[in-house]
Amino acid sequence: MEENYKLIENRELQETLYHYRFYPGLDLYVLPRPGYQKKYAVFSTRFGSIDNRFRVEPDQEVVELPDGVAHFLEHKLFEDERGNVFDRFAALGASPNAFTSFTQTSYLFSCTANFEQSLNHLLDFVQEPYFTKKTVQKEQGIIGQEIKMYEDHPHWRVFFNLLAGLYREHPVRNDIAGTIESIAQITPDLLYCCYNYFYHPSNMAIFIVGDLDPGQVSRQVEDNLDGRNYKSLGQIVRLFPREPAEIMQERTVQELVVSEPILFLGFKDIVVENLQGRDLMRREILMELILDILFGSSEQLYNELYRDNLIDENFGAEYSAEINYGYAMIGGETRDPDQLYQRIMEAVTKIKTCGVSAEQFERHRRKVIGGYIRRFNSLEFIANNFLAYHFRNTALFDLPAILQDIRREEALELIEENLDPSLHAVSLIIPSKED
Amino acid sequence: MLADYSQHYLPNGIRLLFIPTKKFKTFSIGFFLHQELNQDVAALNALLPAVLEQGSRLYPDKLTLQRKLENLYGADLAADILKSGERHLQAYIFESAHDKYLGENGKLLQQGMSVLGSVLGDPLLVEGGFREDYVNQERIQLIKDIKALLNDKAAYAYERCMELMCADERFGTYKLGRIEDYDRIDAKGLYRYYREIFSSNPLDIYVIGDLHEQQVLQAAGEAFKFPRNAEPKTLPVTEIERPVEEVRHYEEEMSVNQAKMVLGFRTYTGYRDKQYCALLVYSGILGVFPHSKLFMKVREEAGLAYYVHSRLERHKGLMIISAGINSGDRQKAREIIERQLDDMAAGRISDAELANTKSGLVNRLRSQQDSPNQLISFLLDGSVGGKTYTVGELIDGIEAVGREEIKAVAEKIKLDTEYLLRPREGVI
Repeated sequence: MEENYKLIENRELQETLYHYRFYPGLDLYVLPRPGYQKKYAVFSTRFGSIDNRFRVEPDQEVVELPDGVAHFLEHKLFEDERGNVFDRFAALGASPNAFTSFTQTSYLFSCTANFEQSLNHLLDFVQEPYFTKKTVQKEQGIIGQEIKMYEDHPHWRVFFNLLAGLYREHPVRNDIAGTIESIAQITPDLLYCCYNYFYHPSNMAIFIVGDLDPGQVSRQVEDNLDGRNYKSLGQIVRLFPREPAEIMQERTVQELVVSEPILFLGFKDIVVENLQGRDLMRREILMELILDILFGSSEQLYNELYRDNLIDENFGAEYSAEINYGYAMIGGETRDPDQLYQRIMEAVTKIKTCGVSAEQFERHRRKVIGGYIRRFNSLEFIANNFLAYHFRNTALFDLPAILQDIRREEALELIEENLDPSLHAVSLIIPSKED
Repeated sequence: MLADYSQHYLPNGIRLLFIPTKKFKTFSIGFFLHQELNQDVAALNALLPAVLEQGSRLYPDKLTLQRKLENLYGADLAADILKSGERHLQAYIFESAHDKYLGENGKLLQQGMSVLGSVLGDPLLVEGGFREDYVNQERIQLIKDIKALLNDKAAYAYERCMELMCADERFGTYKLGRIEDYDRIDAKGLYRYYREIFSSNPLDIYVIGDLHEQQVLQAAGEAFKFPRNAEPKTLPVTEIERPVEEVRHYEEEMSVNQAKMVLGFRTYTGYRDKQYCALLVYSGILGVFPHSKLFMKVREEAGLAYYVHSRLERHKGLMIISAGINSGDRQKAREIIERQLDDMAAGRISDAELANTKSGLVNRLRSQQDSPNQLISFLLDGSVGGKTYTVGELIDGIEAVGREEIKAVAEKIKLDTEYLLRPREGVI
């Protein structure tokens, strides 16, 4: 068999990644990690909770999905005609799992023995769907409990309430698992329909990392695909509603059993939807840096808020950028949400006039590079994040180069453009009165 | 199996374990101070790491300390309090990216060691005590943390069950102690306590990474110079022989959607016990893995729960089953769990269940060696449990377990306490 691959080198990390592409369009990445006992493989499709309206070229017919289908499909793939997929991994001592995000669904396993057989199981079960009325019905009960568990989870609720406040139309405003009502509409036919499009290899990718021989792994994956008679698939066109710039609701309040209020503040990024590839990643890195300069534990504001008992160590800020939406989020538990809110808004206004010093910029840049290197201890981090970046046409390995390239002036411009007070919303959880 | 390590003693008597390995992108220094778990000193133990982390003589406030760490490429210094059996452990872990990925030529180890040494051995003092404002501030934060346990309902239910089950044992102490005890602590008293336990209690340092032994010992010797007693204090062992007279039942109501069921069992088998491996296999078959009985029967077959599992408190010899269910399904779920326990006791275990559980446990043990923190935890368990296994010994022990050994373990296991957190009537 002819070896056909591209090498991706990362000098900073001293890593070499092997990239293969197989008919009908599956990307495989293999990262050798000598000395590790564990081997980790993840097989992902670019099908997440936000992909709820689409058509497949050349067909013009639009498919609309109830909320929670991607996540439901993830659960159901673990069962097939032969029974429960967990058992087959268990017999090999491998540990399987799966997760669904806004933008992708991932199936994975880790093992320290029987890698080849485990990889075959992974490739097989993800490519062999089996949905029946009975199994769909049972899963509605299990996922119903999962939804209820999250309904009681204040940090989960404050996050989704904020997204629902920031977005008017975009499906990122809906829970990944859907609702008890929406998943009641799911049928085996609907699952097969989604499966046939989104689980086509051209919409998927695999990342494998461990003490492995890339040539051998790639032959195994290619062989597994070979017998399956895939036809090429037309382009999947994801249809997103036009999201107005305006936010949906300035303030959302929910009562839950909590020890003190939880405040999250979000800024909608309306420029990000025009960005792709390295530009998208550049914006993400810059925004992370800016947020850390504004709210990080090495800066004045954090230390003042902490001293005034307005925040605890879990207070923080993060930025998220996907292909067609993006937001910054800041917050944590607080005794006085009004005061915390005010102090955060003051800081955002102040940085627009006072800017960022060269010393701050360099110090935080150092922190980002060190944190990035540290995370490369974890095989799970590397594989999961690589594919998340891959599906937005960016590359995890590009981070050090982009980080070295960004300039303080850019950060200052971005602060002007983003973190717009007219595009912010607040989500608040308050202690319920009866408890 | 476990990466080789060497044991050393610093000039002041501190034990240091060095694990040289090239496979990580980082190096780590873990510093663990042991104390007995005890209601009287729990708040002091929890408060101390929080206060020390606020600043030292050289880095007098958090901002200065954090900036120093940022300049060390965002190295992480985490101070925490852990509960392991009836031990209360102060944990200080420094982790840094390794020099070789940053073109820094080996100076990060010495700098990291020196920051850690400064925070732990050279605290910021005012008139013979810690700074009053730091102590007050951290007291408020910890009281807040104790109350915040409520925010995670599954964790809350678990801790409540342990607290009720072990109410008159040292293990019933919550790792952050009791709120009322914080009011009695002042900055001078806390400093006296710090002096006492840092000089007399058992203390371990673990260093992991691609480093030279001589440089590690030299840097550690310079960083940790505080005086130590010749012989560290002997701490009491964890008590596991508490008989169950009758099963206790507790229920609490709350405005929640999902009920949380927690069942606390006594296994009478501790970490250093001959039957420890058999207990691992027992609990594994019952409820640790997706192929385990609880997951298969309660979740996959009956569809009653999203999560249902058993966990061991390995030093105290407890087994805890947890499940999130509809409160209306409680009886049904309870019956299915009961049947699984009966099957375990009667030896109704398939060959596949036995073999798969062993492979799963072995996989976990091997995987731990790919994480510096898990490597440290493994060594720390040896230190807490009074018996150091190698990974190979545990694997051999697990492989050797047969149905007879599992049955022997099952016969000893007794349900002690059943706890239910349930939705308030009329809500939802």
